[in-house]
Amino acid sequence: MLTRLAGGLIYDPAQGIDGEVRDLFIRDGQLVAPAPGEDPDHTYDLRGKLVMAGAIDLHTHIGGGKVNIARTMLPEDQRAHCRARTALTRTGGGQVVPSTFAAGYRYAEMGYTTAFEPAVLPMNARQAHMEMADTPMLDTGGYAMLGNDDLLLQLMSEGVGQEVINDYVAWTLKATQCIGIKVVNPGGINAFKFNARKLDVDERHPHYPLTPRDILRTLSRAVAELGVPHPLHVHASNLGIPGNQVSTLATIDAAEGLPIHLTHIQFHSYGAEGDRRFSSAAAVIAEAVNRRPNVTIDVGQVMFGQTVTVSGDTMRQYANHQHAHPRKWTCMDIECDAGCGVVPFRYRDQNFVNALQWAIGLELFLMVDDPWRVFLTTDHPNGAPFTSYPRLIRLLMDRGFRNDCLAQINPEAAALSNLGSLTREYSRNEIAIMTRAAPARILGLADRGHLAPGARADITVYHDLADPEQTFARPMLVFKGGELVVEEGAVTRVVRGRTQVVRPEFDPAIEGRIGRWFDRYHSIRLANFAITDTEMAAGIGSPVTIHPCNRRST
Amino acid sequence: MWTSDPAQTPGNLTCPFCGLACDDLSVAPGPADAGLVLVNGCQTARGAFAGAMAAGPGTALIKGQPVSLEAALAHAAGLLAAARAPLFGGLVTDVNGMRAVLELADRCGALLDHVGADALFRNLLVLQDGGWMTATLTEVRNRADLILILGREVPHRFPRLCERVLLPPEALFSPPGERRLVLLGPAEPGPLPAEFAAANPTLIPVALADLAGVGALLRGLIAGRPVRADAIPGVAGAQLKQLAGWLCGARYAVVTWAAGELAFPHAELTVQAFVELVRDLNRTTRAAALPLAGTLGDLTANQVCTWQTGYPLRSGRQQGRSCYEPLLYRHQDLLAQGQSDLLLWVQALPAANPAATPAAKCPTIVLGYPGLACGRVPEVFIPVGLPGIDHPGHWYRTDAVCPLPLGQVRDLGLASVAGVIGKLSERLGATAE
Ligand code: SF4
Repeated sequence: MLTRLAGGLIYDPAQGIDGEVRDLFIRDGQLVAPAPGEDPDHTYDLRGKLVMAGAIDLHTHIGGGKVNIARTMLPEDQRAHCRARTALTRTGGGQVVPSTFAAGYRYAEMGYTTAFEPAVLPMNARQAHMEMADTPMLDTGGYAMLGNDDLLLQLMSEGVGQEVINDYVAWTLKATQCIGIKVVNPGGINAFKFNARKLDVDERHPHYPLTPRDILRTLSRAVAELGVPHPLHVHASNLGIPGNQVSTLATIDAAEGLPIHLTHIQFHSYGAEGDRRFSSAAAVIAEAVNRRPNVTIDVGQVMFGQTVTVSGDTMRQYANHQHAHPRKWTCMDIECDAGCGVVPFRYRDQNFVNALQWAIGLELFLMVDDPWRVFLTTDHPNGAPFTSYPRLIRLLMDRGFRNDCLAQINPEAAALSNLGSLTREYSRNEIAIMTRAAPARILGLADRGHLAPGARADITVYHDLADPEQTFARPMLVFKGGELVVEEGAVTRVVRGRTQVVRPEFDPAIEGRIGRWFDRYHSIRLANFAITDTEMAAGIGSPVTIHPCNRRST
Repeated sequence: MWTSDPAQTPGNLTCPFCGLACDDLSVAPGPADAGLVLVNGCQTARGAFAGAMAAGPGTALIKGQPVSLEAALAHAAGLLAAARAPLFGGLVTDVNGMRAVLELADRCGALLDHVGADALFRNLLVLQDGGWMTATLTEVRNRADLILILGREVPHRFPRLCERVLLPPEALFSPPGERRLVLLGPAEPGPLPAEFAAANPTLIPVALADLAGVGALLRGLIAGRPVRADAIPGVAGAQLKQLAGWLCGARYAVVTWAAGELAFPHAELTVQAFVELVRDLNRTTRAAALPLAGTLGDLTANQVCTWQTGYPLRSGRQQGRSCYEPLLYRHQDLLAQGQSDLLLWVQALPAANPAATPAAKCPTIVLGYPGLACGRVPEVFIPVGLPGIDHPGHWYRTDAVCPLPLGQVRDLGLASVAGVIGKLSERLGATAE
C-alpha cells in the first residue's frame, strides 16, 4: 500500500530542505520514491501543515531502577496527573515520573518517535530494557554507564593496554544491549563509596592511582577507536557546584580532541562571581563549544515547578539532599558498578539560584552557534519533565515571550543574566535540526531523523499556528513506522518499539578475564549478566535493531 | 540464562526459592532415575526443588472436579467478566507473569496485593516517607567492614547470605576475616548456623519490639546527645555504647534485616529508626542499609506494578483509574471484610507461610503450581508452571536492582502464568496495550 502525504511544508535539515512544499510517500513502513505514474492508495492533504521527521530525544530518564524508585517515592505525581484507561490505552499517569505507558503515549502525542535512556547501569540493564519495552510508541535505546565500575578502574590501574579497555567497552555494549557509553562524574561515584565527597578532574581517586581525566581520556578513546557513532556521553564532575565551569572546561580538554558529548551542560556552566558567589558561565562554556568542533552538548534546561532529580551521581545527589522537596531522598551504592540518587526538587522562579539556572540554560541554547551540536533536553525529569518541551521551544523561537518570562523571574538573577540582550530566535529548521536530524546523526541512526527515501516512516505533522508552543504540543498526525498512531494530539493506535543498539567487534578473550573477576567478586554469574538477543525479543519484549560502527585502527 | 535448554545452564541456573536468587546452581540426573536433582545450593533450595520435581503436571479443576483446560479457562473468564470488585492476590510470579496480571487487572478493574506485602510495606512505607541509603549484594560483599544484623531469623530466611555476601571467600576492599558481625535481636531460637558462629559475632539480646527504641538510642549516642545507654530495660547499655563506637569507626557499616521477621504492628517505624541511623553515619563516614526481601517475588511483582502503573502494589484500577491505598488494600482485610466479589490468586511457587491459599468467602480462581494447597475449594484451579523450572523468566533478588534470568529444567507442558492469563485476556476480548 502506497500512502501519499501531499502538499505539506517539509522541514528536513538532513537533506537541506527548509520549509519547501513537497509530497512524501510511504510504503511498508518506509519513505519511498514511487515509480512515475504510480497512484497512491491513500492521500493525506497536508497543505499548510508542517512536516518533520519524528522527533528523537537523546537524553531522557524513562527507564531503570532509579526511575522506579522515584515513582515509588512520589505517589503524589500519579495522583496529580491521572490518565484514565481508554479502549486503546492503559491506566497510569504521572508527569515527572510517568508510568512507562504514560511516558510512551505522552511522547508520541508530542511527535516523538524515539527516545534514549542515558544512564543504564550495566547491572540494571535488564530492568531498563524491560521498562522501555513497556514504553509503547517509541523505539528506545540506552547508554551503558562505565567509569565508576571497579573492573574498569582496576584494569586502568594495572596499566593494561588500550586494546583491553576497548574490548571491555565493546563487550559491555553487547552484554547490556546499549548504543552508547556514558560516564557520570568520572570516578566520583566510586570515590564516594570510599567516603570522598568531591573529586576534581585532576584529583587522584582515594583508592585507585587515577584521576577523572584519565578515565575520560581512556573511555573517549575507546569509544572513538571502536567506531561507536555516539561520542562518549559525559555527565561531568562537580554537577551543580558554583564555579564548576573550570572543571567543565577541563573535562572538554580531557577528550584531547576526540569526540565528546557533554550532557545537561547547564548544570555544569556555573561561575562563582557576585555577592551570592553564583553566576552564569554560559558565555565561557558556549565559546568553548563554539571553538571545538569535537564537542556536542545537550542543555538540561530547567523549567519552573515540581520535579524529581534522578541520577547515577550519588556523590552529588548526597550533597544536594538537603534541598529535597518534599523532604525525602534516596541514595544507593550499586554492585561495584555505579550508584543512584533520587532527590525530589521544586524549581522556583523567585529563587535566585533556580531563576539563574533557567537563564543559564537559555543563554547556552542561544550562544552556541551550531544547532547541529546542541540538543534540546531538560534532562527529564532532572531539569523538568519532558512535557515542557513545547514551552521550551517557544522560549527559543519567540524573543518577546522569552523576555516576558525573564521579567517575571527573581530580579536579581535576571539582572545578572545577559539573556535579555540575546536577540537570536530559533527557526523551525533549527528546531528540526536539534530535535531530529542532529540526534540521529550523532547516534549513528541512518534510518531516521530525516525524510529521504529509505528512512523509516517516522513522521510528525504539525498545524502551522502562531504560537510555537501550541504547534509543538499537539501534532495533527504522527506516523510510526508508516502507521498512523496519533491524530490531533491523541493516541489512536498503539505500537511497540524496538531497542536500538551498536555491536562493535571485540576479542572474545576479554570474557575470560571478566568472568574470573565476576567469579571472585560479584554475586551474579557472567552468563546471567549478559543479555542475549533472544532474551531481548522473547523475554524482555523489545527486539534489537543493530546499527553499524566504523571501527578505526588503534 | 534466559533459555529453555537446561544443558545451557550448568552452574548458571538461578534459584527462585528465596530473595537471594543464587544463580550458580546445577542440576543433574538423580539416583535411580528419580529425575533431576539440584546438586548444589542450600538445603532450602534442594528441598523445594525436589518437592517441585516430585509433583506431576496437575490438572485443571472446577469446584474440585477435573476438567479440560479449555473448560477451566472459559469458566474463569466468565467469572472475571462478571466480577465488579475483583482482587488479584498472591502474585507469586515472574516479570512476564506480572505483566500479564497487570494487563488483566487493568481490564477488570482489580485491586492488587502480594501474599507477602505486609513485609514489603514495612520497607516501602519508609522509602516513601523519607527515603533511605542502601547498597546491593556485591557492594556489601566487597566493602562492608561492620555488619549489623537486626532480628534473629536472617540466617534462616536467607541461607547463603553469609557465604555469598557477608563473609565471602575474598573481597576487594574489606578482608572478610576482619569483618565485625553484630546481631541485635532475640537470644532465641537456638544456636546460629555454623558459618555465622564461626565469624564470632557479637550478640546483643534485644526483643524485636524494643529494636526501634534501641535504634533511636544508638542515634542519640552517635550524635553525642546526653542519652542514657541503659534506658531500655534488659538491653545492656555498655554493649550499645560499644556498638555506637564501632558504627562511627567503621569505614562502611551495613545494617541488614528481613522485614518478614518484623511481624508486629508499625514495624516500619523500626525500619525507619535504623534507616535514619544509617543516614546519620553518612555525615562523616560511609554506611548503607541492606533490606532483605524478594522471597516469593514480592519485589518482582512490585517493580513491574510500579513501572507499568506508577504505583506500587496495594493499588487498583477501579473505574479505569489508578488508586493506591497502602493502608486499605491489604488483601487479608479486603477478604475478611467481604469487599471483593472475586479473588484471583496467583501463586507459581511454593510458600512455607501461608501454606495454603486464603479461604475466601467470595468465589476464587487459583492459578497455582501443581500441588498448591487451597484454603477452600476454588471455583477454578488452573495449574501453572514454576518459573525457573518449567519456563524461563525474570526474577528480582533482594536488592531490587538485579532482575536475574531464570532458566528451565523440564517440560511437562505446563503453561506459565503469562500464558494462562494471556488466554484469559483473549477470551475477555480485545486488549489495550
Ligand atoms: S539461599 Fe535462597 S536463592 Fe540461594 S540457593 Fe538457597 S533458597 Fe536458593
